[in-house]
Parts: sequence; structure tokens; C-alpha cells
Amino acid sequence: MKITIKYFSWIRVKLKKGSEEFDFEKNTSFKTASNILIKKHPYFKEIFDDSSIKFFLNLSEIEDHEIILKDGDVIALLPPVTGG
Amino acid sequence: MIKITNEDFNLEEEFLKISSKKNGAYSFFLGTVRDDILKNKKKIDGIFLECYQDLAHQQLTKIRNQAIQQWQLTECNIVHRIGSLGLGEKIVLVITSSKHRANSISACEYVIDNLKANVAFWKFNIFGENQEAVEFKKKDLDKFLQWSNIVKTN
Repeated sequence: MKITIKYFSWIRVKLKKGSEEFDFEKNTSFKTASNILIKKHPYFKEIFDDSSIKFFLNLSEIEDHEIILKDGDVIALLPPVTGG
Repeated sequence: MIKITNEDFNLEEEFLKISSKKNGAYSFFLGTVRDDILKNKKKIDGIFLECYQDLAHQQLTKIRNQAIQQWQLTECNIVHRIGSLGLGEKIVLVITSSKHRANSISACEYVIDNLKANVAFWKFNIFGENQEAVEFKKKDLDKFLQWSNIVKTN
């Protein structure tokens, strides 16, 4: 299944892209997907270890990391906001 | 009305959008790009504002609805710009209207405090050709948390 991950602020700058599409097996949880990404790309470890970053799934903050992803889901990685 | 825009906005036009004889009070907050010298002595040339538009719109709608309900506002409009902005340019406008001034003043402050602490916008300082992400200020979160005794924010 295809999952889009959106990057913002310093994460977007660091990865030099605003979003990326990944393929995961059906019924993959957010936690499992995170671990797969960390193994694939070391830079994801810094992101997933950073407690200030919020993770959103289809515009809702992810509270349970065991949530199962679905084809077409959009995950966003959000550093602390600085607008206004 | 919530507006996230690349375009500049006109204060009088934004006021006229919510102007009504039913109101006795209007409060405005206008945030602008400050001609700033940072701790490292670097002088900024402007800012770049990034936004996750779908999420920011959803978050601002929720904040607006909370403010209208809590302070019985007759209207609450929020305009936030994105993209590159020069020194002195307008960034964000919050306008609240109500029958009496205390409600519009408190609501206006609540909306901007909540926006600064929670809504999906990110600032970058521009130095010539370079940009640096602005760091989150804990004082913005502390200021927002002061409202937790007054407004149910979840």
C-alpha cells in the first residue's frame, strides 16, 4: 500500500523535499512503518526520536502509535510551530 | 472567515467584512515582520512562511469556533499570509467583534495566543540568499497555556 509522508520546516530542509511516497505491506502499523523507515534511512531516527515532533495521520494527531495504516494515508511530520 | 493567502490584505477591507450595527466593539491583532537583529548579530532581510494548509485551516476553524462560543462573538476573522515577506509587511490579522469590548479583547488575545502555539505555520528568517528556521519559543506555549483555566482547548 502507498503512504505519503509530508515534511515541514527543518525536516523539509534537511531532506530537501516536501513529501515522499513509501510502499508498505497491508495492515502495517504506524510504529512498524516508523521502524522500517529508520532502518531504510538513518535520518529518520533523529526525527522519530525527537519528542518535540508531532505526527499527524490524515489531519489528526497520532496518539496511538499502533494505529494501522491504510492505502492512500497521509502522514505529516510536524516540528514545533512558529507562525503568527 | 479563515484565509491563508500569498497576497497582502487591506485592514479597512477586512474590517468592513465584519462591520455591523449590532456590534459595540471590535478588537484587532496585526502581526508584522520586525526588522530584527538576532542573538548572533545577524540582521534579517525578511521572512518566509511555510504552512500545512489543510491542517492549519482545520486548526484555525476550531480555534475560531471556540472563541465565538466562549466570548459570544458576533464574528471572528483570521487572515494569515504565507510565502516571502519583507520587513514591515503584514503577517497575520485577527479581528473579533462583539456587543461589548471585554469579550472582543479577550477573544482576540486568545486566538493569536492559540495560533502561535499550535497552528501549522513555520517561519524562516531570510539572510540574503539563505533561510534559517525560526526556533519555537517556549514563552508562546506558556502564554497559550494560561488560557487552559478559561477555555476548554482540547
